[in-house]
Amino acid sequence: MPLQAALVPFTVVGRLVMGVCAIVGALSLFVGRTLLACFTPRWHGGQIARQAVSIGFLSLPVVGLTAVFTGAALALNIYTGGGRFNAEQIVPQIVALGITRELAPVLVALMLSGRVATTIAAEIGAMRATEQIDAMRTLSTDPFRFLVAPRVLAGVATLPLLTSVADIVGIGGGWLVSTLSLGFNPEAYARSTVAFLEAWDIQSGLIKAAVFGFIVTAMGAFHGYRATGGARGVGHAATQAMVWSGVLIFATDYLMTSWFTQT
Amino acid sequence: MRDNWIEPLVGAVVLVGAGAFLTYLLIAGDARPAPDGYSLTARFGQVGGLREGDDVRVAGVKVGRVERIALQPDTYLAVAHLEIAPQTRLPQDSTARVTSDGLLGGAHVAIEPGADTAMLKAGGEIENTQGAVDLFGLIGQFINKPAAPSEPAI
Repeated sequence: MPLQAALVPFTVVGRLVMGVCAIVGALSLFVGRTLLACFTPRWHGGQIARQAVSIGFLSLPVVGLTAVFTGAALALNIYTGGGRFNAEQIVPQIVALGITRELAPVLVALMLSGRVATTIAAEIGAMRATEQIDAMRTLSTDPFRFLVAPRVLAGVATLPLLTSVADIVGIGGGWLVSTLSLGFNPEAYARSTVAFLEAWDIQSGLIKAAVFGFIVTAMGAFHGYRATGGARGVGHAATQAMVWSGVLIFATDYLMTSWFTQT
Repeated sequence: MRDNWIEPLVGAVVLVGAGAFLTYLLIAGDARPAPDGYSLTARFGQVGGLREGDDVRVAGVKVGRVERIALQPDTYLAVAHLEIAPQTRLPQDSTARVTSDGLLGGAHVAIEPGADTAMLKAGGEIENTQGAVDLFGLIGQFINKPAAPSEPAI
């Protein structure tokens, strides 16, 4: 029919717009219900503690590994770049600033979007696929209170802690390579770092980390909660959780940085 | 769950390492007494960017560190206490000079050994000193110099 053929472009645009609206609406509802469950009683303390150990403590190896190599590579690059205008002495200051304000929070969050967001999406997605979430609701247990809120709370609490560990380990990586292969005096390096850093450098990084903690855990839970279609759907949810938490981390990082740096 | 002990173990190692380095940063940030060596003093008119913990070098090789810098109240000279490695003996007429590492700060004390056969003893003073050169002051003087009557260029 010619009339139907003429309507195809409108149908495509309409479907796209409705799809975007559906996602935005579902996400807003999800975040709203999550926040409600996070801020009102009752809290499942045991679940929060278990998630804090699994998200926080068990992520320490990967966080340490990422931070030490990033700090070391950063020091080498700044040394090379500074050498172009005879400013090699700037290494400790720029390493400290770059790690605390930007690299530690973002890299920790990205590593956790791979480690934690996917795990959460797979856990909740598998429970959705095996109808455990429906069963939970039948037993009048709110899945937001029991599954989502503990993970989000644990993420918001532990990401700043992981980031402060990454701050120290990252500066340590820079210190190691600077003293071992670039000929810096170890004590002078430590002294420049301590003297240069301001409280806000560290605090702004920790605020970023808390926001990223929410993004990573909420994205994992959101995509897991919406998973459909068995094992394949669970795999898809895990991928989506990682991709979207990564995208949101970069976007909010830019927003927060531009907000923090204007005075 | 059998081999799950390794993750917590590595996590604990990371935490301990981070704690140790943080302690080091905070202690070294305050400068810490150097191990055995003998101490010398040197009085400078101007120490510039020299800080406690900076290197003391002879011919560019590190032989010690600056342990303490204080102002001598009556002469307004800066007294630097230097900790020198025991195997480094310096002639009595050696010269100590505050040298900057680069334009962006950082400095060390460069010692030029003299020719005297008598060596400096522990607690002795390096009498020949040359303080830090105020590079920006020099540049400022040069820029603000009143225009000289024009001379033919060469």
